[in-house]
Amino acid sequence: MLEALAYGAVFALVSGTVLPLLYRSKNARQASFGLSLISSVLLLGFAGTVLYTGKEPSFPAFGFLPGLDFTLAADRLTAGFVLLIAAVLPGVSIYSLEYTEHAKSEARKALQAALTSLFVLAMLLVVLAGNMVGFLIFWEIMSLSSLLLVLHDYSSEENKKAGFFYFVMTNISTTFLFLGFISLYRLTGSAEFGPLEYPAGALTLPFLCLFIGFGVKAGLVPFHKWLPYAHPAAPSNISALMSGVMLKVAIYGFLRFLLAAASPELWWGVLILIAGSLSALFGVIYALKESDIKRLLAYSSIENIGIIFIGIGLYVIFRVEGLETLALMSLAGACFHAFNHALFKSLLFLCAGSVVHATGTRNIEAFGGLVKTMPATSALFLIGSVSIAALPPANGFAGELLLYQAFFQASALSANPLLTVFMVIALSSFALTGALAAALFVKLFGITCLALPRSEESRLAEEVEKPMLFGPAVPAVLCILTGIFSKQILSLAGWDIEFPDLLLLGLLLAFIYAALFLAVRAKTEIPDRISETWGCGFPALTPSTEYSSAGFSEPLVMIFKSIYRTRIVHRPEYFDGQESLFKNGHVEIRLLRFFEEYLYIPPALAIDSLSKRVAKLQNGKLDSYVLYAFLAVLTLIIATGVLV
Amino acid sequence: MIEPLFLEGVIKILFVFVLISAALIISTRSLASVLTTYTVQSFLLAAVSFLLYLMEGKSELLLLAGLTLASKVLLIPHFIKRIEEKIKISRDLNFTYLEPTTSLLLSIGLILLSYAFLSRVFEAFALSKLFFFGAVIGLSLTLMGMLVMFSRRKVITKALGYLSMENGVLMFGIFVTELPFILEILIIIDLIILVLLTSILAVGLDSSIEEYRKKIRRLQVWNGGEAL
Repeated sequence: MLEALAYGAVFALVSGTVLPLLYRSKNARQASFGLSLISSVLLLGFAGTVLYTGKEPSFPAFGFLPGLDFTLAADRLTAGFVLLIAAVLPGVSIYSLEYTEHAKSEARKALQAALTSLFVLAMLLVVLAGNMVGFLIFWEIMSLSSLLLVLHDYSSEENKKAGFFYFVMTNISTTFLFLGFISLYRLTGSAEFGPLEYPAGALTLPFLCLFIGFGVKAGLVPFHKWLPYAHPAAPSNISALMSGVMLKVAIYGFLRFLLAAASPELWWGVLILIAGSLSALFGVIYALKESDIKRLLAYSSIENIGIIFIGIGLYVIFRVEGLETLALMSLAGACFHAFNHALFKSLLFLCAGSVVHATGTRNIEAFGGLVKTMPATSALFLIGSVSIAALPPANGFAGELLLYQAFFQASALSANPLLTVFMVIALSSFALTGALAAALFVKLFGITCLALPRSEESRLAEEVEKPMLFGPAVPAVLCILTGIFSKQILSLAGWDIEFPDLLLLGLLLAFIYAALFLAVRAKTEIPDRISETWGCGFPALTPSTEYSSAGFSEPLVMIFKSIYRTRIVHRPEYFDGQESLFKNGHVEIRLLRFFEEYLYIPPALAIDSLSKRVAKLQNGKLDSYVLYAFLAVLTLIIATGVLV
Repeated sequence: MIEPLFLEGVIKILFVFVLISAALIISTRSLASVLTTYTVQSFLLAAVSFLLYLMEGKSELLLLAGLTLASKVLLIPHFIKRIEEKIKISRDLNFTYLEPTTSLLLSIGLILLSYAFLSRVFEAFALSKLFFFGAVIGLSLTLMGMLVMFSRRKVITKALGYLSMENGVLMFGIFVTELPFILEILIIIDLIILVLLTSILAVGLDSSIEEYRKKIRRLQVWNGGEAL
């Protein structure tokens, strides 16, 4: 029965992939997204049952290559991430019904619909894969299908660059995964995800390889740079899937390894915690300065991935120190935050897609006043912002609260004073992240939706079609429900941890607000008065006097001035070699792209110059080729002489 | 019957001449001289083969001597001489990568390398001194022929380098591996075809491979890494 649900979902997604390619009509595309919707219902049943009953389904093995079987498997960790896919998928599917129809040509529409299904299918099968072979195969399909989706609008130069960036990074990720899995295979002699009972030190190489491999895919600083490029290029529904689900698939893979490792080491946890804290902090700091709405959300994803890694780091540290309850709480926090982030980030990306579609720009400085022109979208956007800013009782709060609780109880680690100090530093940086994230989303929502429209496009914006409202409404409702019922959900999933009942808190908050409102209302005697804001003596207030995005973040930018360093670039061109006849020039002042300029470009240039040198070997001269043969023979002779 | 020890002594003297001929092919600038040197080298090989026949009495060696005499001393040099007359170039003055002096020094290194290599490889086999030297000379000759191929410019010299290299293989074969006779014949046929092709390329297109490459490049779509 359980197996049938999983097979049904897979079958629905396969048909959803094939259908739009066979029939290039709107109906076929609608059917494809309908099938995604059906599969998400099936997956919900599947994952819910496994998670609730703990019953593990058994799938037969498919012979793939001699000696390499491909199996599906599901335990409770798998079920949690399948549930995540099932939760994000309905919103995206409904949204795509309309959104995909805005693509430029019939072929692109069909391709987008088909690839979306394929992408979801690949992600699902990565999570369901029972051994390394299937995992890597579907991982690669997932990467490639998402690459094609990022390159959807391939004609623009910027998108080509984004696609290339993503392609390189995703290949680096896959390479490290291969290395990690191969080293695991050499250790265990099997491709199964079994328990790894090895003494300390034996798993160092697999750990590092998998950490880098999954870290690149998840967008961990300093491997995060592909995210801010890929998201603006990708269609918004794909951004929602990539940020909501694909990053979590990487988290899933990493957790699968960590949970299997019988004896993790303390430095693993410390490394993960440091990387997580840095990602969280840098992600939100870069996001604050950003004015491209989708890039801002991409940086925010980096921040949230950082938070999830903080949870994972805490889990490892507590487990090594033998504090099982705290370890469980941290793990629950990480998983729950991953689930929550999937919901509100997909919600935000879908809303951003609607806004970009209505206004035709991604620059938030051009938005404003959308609460009047696009009220429903603005309301959904507000729910997303409240959730991600971790305001109670929305789900973002619930997830982060678990992590804070775990952090507060880290004093139990008194045996190791250095570790305690480290935890306090990590906690404070985590708290700073939370505060900055709140500021970030106040800015994003305020600048986008409130005040007067800052541009003609924003003034003329129209509310989007129904599916593009119902789509994001699904995660929006889920955001609130999972927040309010977080305690119940956690205990249903089998995590009975000490956790405040947010339902009670929510009711209490609602009651207090209502009482306050009524009290003030009853007390006040002045009737409502509508008048113009005082304009500091200006004759009329125009949008140019409004708070701008850059203005809002200026104080924070001042504080973190050392991080936002600028770089002045000038590239003059001359007519002559002596540089005296000026021909043309390019000058810009921009933010220093630290990671790109110091971490990504130098090795890329080194590889480039190396390749050029290698290419010189092939120079078309017969003499050189004979020389190579001669040298090869000599080397062979010497090598044989040495070896014999 | 001639004394085997005497024969061995003669063969060893011939070895020295073979090496000298290889050195001359590397450094001589006059094409006619290179050809003469090659002819002499081939003749020496035939002589070695013949003397070895006298020592061992294997009929294949006699056949090989005859074949070498016919093809490498008479037929191939005759072809090449005709080419040289046609292209009206009498000297090859240009060298790539290595100047003659360096090449000669390198050749000494190659001989030493062959010696060191083969003495390690043949440690296990109880090879007589003469045969061991034959193998060393053969390998050195092969390597030196290859050296000629990439360090000299003209097609004719390159071809002669290749032929000299093949002489090295033949020598190595005589002393160590004893190739089946049919293979020897095939190799010689190959050589004759090579010389024929060379004549077509050298006379029909140009005398220098550089020129030829330019012509080829004009026709091909993709030009190698040089344009980068």
